[in-house]
Amino acid sequence: MNSLAEYFHTDWEAMTTNDWVGLVMTVVTFLLMVGLYFYALRPKNRDRLEKNRFIPMDEDRIDSGDKNGG
Amino acid sequence: MDAVAEQKYNYAVVRWFTVMAVVYLVVGTLAGTYIASELAWPFLNFDIPYLTFGRLRPLHTNAVIFAFGGCALMATSYYSVQRTCGVRLWSDKLGWFVFWGWNLVIVAAVITLPLGITQAKEYAELEWPIDLLIAVVWLAYTFNFIMTLATRKSSHIYVSNWFFLGMMVMITYLHVVNSMAIPVSLFKSYSLFAGVQDAMIQWWWGHNAVGFYLTAGFLGIMYYFVPKQAGRPVYSYRLSVIHFWALMFGYVWLGAHHLQYTALPDWTGSLGAAVSIAMIIPSWGGAVNGMMTLSGAWDKLRTDYVLRFLIVSLAFYAMSTFEGPIMSIKTVNALSHYTDWTVGHVHSGALGWVAMVAIGAIYHMMTRTFHTEMWSTKLINAHFWTATIGTVVYVVAMWVSGIMQGLMWRAYDEYGTLAYTFAESVEAMHPYYAMRAIGGMIFVTGAVLMLINVLMTVRKAASEGSIRAASTAAVSA
Repeated sequence: MNSLAEYFHTDWEAMTTNDWVGLVMTVVTFLLMVGLYFYALRPKNRDRLEKNRFIPMDEDRIDSGDKNGG
Repeated sequence: MDAVAEQKYNYAVVRWFTVMAVVYLVVGTLAGTYIASELAWPFLNFDIPYLTFGRLRPLHTNAVIFAFGGCALMATSYYSVQRTCGVRLWSDKLGWFVFWGWNLVIVAAVITLPLGITQAKEYAELEWPIDLLIAVVWLAYTFNFIMTLATRKSSHIYVSNWFFLGMMVMITYLHVVNSMAIPVSLFKSYSLFAGVQDAMIQWWWGHNAVGFYLTAGFLGIMYYFVPKQAGRPVYSYRLSVIHFWALMFGYVWLGAHHLQYTALPDWTGSLGAAVSIAMIIPSWGGAVNGMMTLSGAWDKLRTDYVLRFLIVSLAFYAMSTFEGPIMSIKTVNALSHYTDWTVGHVHSGALGWVAMVAIGAIYHMMTRTFHTEMWSTKLINAHFWTATIGTVVYVVAMWVSGIMQGLMWRAYDEYGTLAYTFAESVEAMHPYYAMRAIGGMIFVTGAVLMLINVLMTVRKAASEGSIRAASTAAVSA
């Protein structure tokens, strides 16, 4: 077994419930992060997200009851 | 004078939090400078137990983090959530309860810590009755914020509010778990955790207090106040979304990097270091996002002293969020850990990032909530330079001192014995400890100038009757 394979070797039989919970949480978090990057950087969503940049600039419009589109 | 805002929003509680933040900035940094001076000139202990480094150090950290930082966060979050949601704070009474409750916590800290009443958990020293009070006040603060969001008039919740809310949720969770203890008397308790689990819980809290309180909370400040002060929208909203979620997902994993080469399983430290490195990406994305907000309007920095505070804070944010991950790598950590390098890193974040961005926001809010100009613009400029120079002197002293310490501690001679005694390393540190104290003194001078300026502005507003005029002026609906 080369050193890299040895480094990544996992004794699956020895995994405890805590280990599995931790592993699942780590993988789910990673997948959620990938999904988030995809959502935020997708060109289709650009205008929808970027229009919110102006909220602090448009406070007076919110004050006047315009509700900022809401 | 913005009579509409004065009558629509609860500015009174914001004003009190704002002024108290400046008072605590002076108190906290003064305590820090005093203990820094004690390390350089130990006679300053005067053999009085209440003045020793061990008792005043937690007073310093509690004063700057929870008194100054807390009041700054509460002022800015309550100010910006009202303005970005177009509604008044959900409950004025709860707002005042939070103000008085938080200040009661601070008074309790000022009394108990010099008396040596402590749980001995870093950044969570206060004993269990005060911990309970913190939990109640923090939940009231959070509940009022959430209810204000729930009654908003805008369709979208602006990103600064996400950062504030992320901080509130995570700090509730962290504070409750880390403070779990078995009380044995009114002023003494023992942690529910023991051994390496206690160490892990401690640093899970310790680093996340940095990550969610001193970073996420103050990023909430950055995302509202940089665009407002610059008069330009934030550079990229998409980047801010990525910044937020990456921070929320990533930061909780980092604490173990504080425990490299300990009884903690090796893989946890490696995981902590790996995620720390990964966090450079969102952190730098956020820093660039803040700085690029000025794209096309850099000339504003020549005349706008408040904007200088905000932008320089982002430079320090970028620097310390690069330095931290590098220090978490095991080979670097072998040199840096337990040395003054860590102290220098913390202060480049605390003075350069946290204090500077909060100071910029406080100056911004002072003019808006007191409905008058600052008493002296020259004093703001003097404050900017003293704060910047003081921070740089402090941090450079600790970098040099820390690296020298690390190298001296691990130097061996030809026979394999240590080349230096610990006392020799302490002696070698003396010039840098003096330099650090001087850096602190310069920073405190700036904080005192700010307090004078703020108090004179309050007096000016009172003599002009600007708040009363804004409160009673007729406004159209």
